[in-house]
Amino acid sequence: MNNALIIGQYVPGNSLVHRLDPRTKITIIFFFVIVVFVANNVPSYGIVTAFALGAMFTSRVPIRYILKGLTPVWFLIIFTFILHLFVTKEGTLFFDFFIFEFYTGGVIQGFAISLRFFLLILVTSLLTLTTTPIEITDAIEEMLDPLKKVRFPVHELALMMSISLRFIPTLMQETEKISKAQSSRGVDFRTGPIKERIKAVVPLLVPLFVSAFKRAEELAMAMEARGYQGGEGRSKLRALKVEKRDILIYLLFAAVVAGLFITRSYG
Amino acid sequence: MKTNQSSSLLKLIILALMVTISLVLFFLNFPLPFLPAYLKIDFSDIPALMASLVFSPMAGVVVVGIKNALYLLISGAGDPIGVAANFLAGVMFVVPVSMLYHRFKGVKSVVSGLVTGTVIMAVGMSVLNYLFILPAYSWFMGWDMSAQAMWIAVIAGVLPFNMIKGIVIGLLFVPLFIKMRVWIEQKQEKFAA
Repeated sequence: MNNALIIGQYVPGNSLVHRLDPRTKITIIFFFVIVVFVANNVPSYGIVTAFALGAMFTSRVPIRYILKGLTPVWFLIIFTFILHLFVTKEGTLFFDFFIFEFYTGGVIQGFAISLRFFLLILVTSLLTLTTTPIEITDAIEEMLDPLKKVRFPVHELALMMSISLRFIPTLMQETEKISKAQSSRGVDFRTGPIKERIKAVVPLLVPLFVSAFKRAEELAMAMEARGYQGGEGRSKLRALKVEKRDILIYLLFAAVVAGLFITRSYG
Repeated sequence: MKTNQSSSLLKLIILALMVTISLVLFFLNFPLPFLPAYLKIDFSDIPALMASLVFSPMAGVVVVGIKNALYLLISGAGDPIGVAANFLAGVMFVVPVSMLYHRFKGVKSVVSGLVTGTVIMAVGMSVLNYLFILPAYSWFMGWDMSAQAMWIAVIAGVLPFNMIKGIVIGLLFVPLFIKMRVWIEQKQEKFAA
């Protein structure tokens, strides 16, 4: 669990999907999520599925990582399928046993909606599987840049997000250290009535807050000593650049969307 | 003139670290034994409360907002509706506490703030669930949820869950506030100056 919190689900790699500009990935995923709902027949579902699976295979992320990301929603996917199986009474009756009446319409409907849900989760989790949270933060800062015109503090927001991500491992360790120190003094977080257990968390939080404020003071001083003056005119260590491959992917995605609308109307 | 900039940077960093604590506590969540598993209690609103008492209600909103944004990045964006719901619940809970505290100060104002916050959150989330969140889920998943089913989900699930969540967080926050009151007031003075 510790690891999951530190780098998210990121699986290091050097595939095309990993090397894409994070802005490209976020933009395409955003539109993919909308466009999936356009699909309404076999060829159009085929196109979106092919795109999602294609992205999955080019990312070369081991299947077991992807399946692990899906575990929390497996239940929902299966539940939706079963629900449609029982509730939708369209098409022809093909299975009739006691009170169970299954119609072909239910199977098709259930399958289509489960597939749609699966594709949505697959594609969004591909983003976090192939992009570190820091890269995503950088991309968000760049993409929100126009909002600076309306005085939205984009740089400050991105700064807070990166600092906060950077300190997750540190504060995680500190929480562990404090809770061990409290346990060694006989504090019990695991047993006893729930009210006592809640109260046992107080001595854990007090030092956590005090030290976080101290740490913040040290960091602010260190940043100022190195000449930090806000986002104005500040250059970047990892500058984002749109490469040829990004443009190619945009074109491919445009083709997918076009194909989707064509098959939808003529299919 | 430089002190001004410095204190605003410090404030940003403090809020960022509150978000971090919030995330650490968020991942320590535990489901309640008698409610559906997707309704989970966590203590991640505590750092937001702390920030909103030391600074302003807005600081609390910022902490809740960034916490949810980062959670979305870390967990893989599987459930954007749930994250949005958590953000709204956090705002409805934190803002009343902070407003009452900054108006009246003292332990009593925090306790009454927590009660008000719990009620506003529970009622507000029930309304939002009935009107927006459950319909959004059922549209997303292609379920046909009848108004009656949603009514039951709200009365039996959302309402008691948010009540319990508010009470549990309150039970933790009141002793925490009593212990840290002097410290909080010191920090307030420091940042007000």
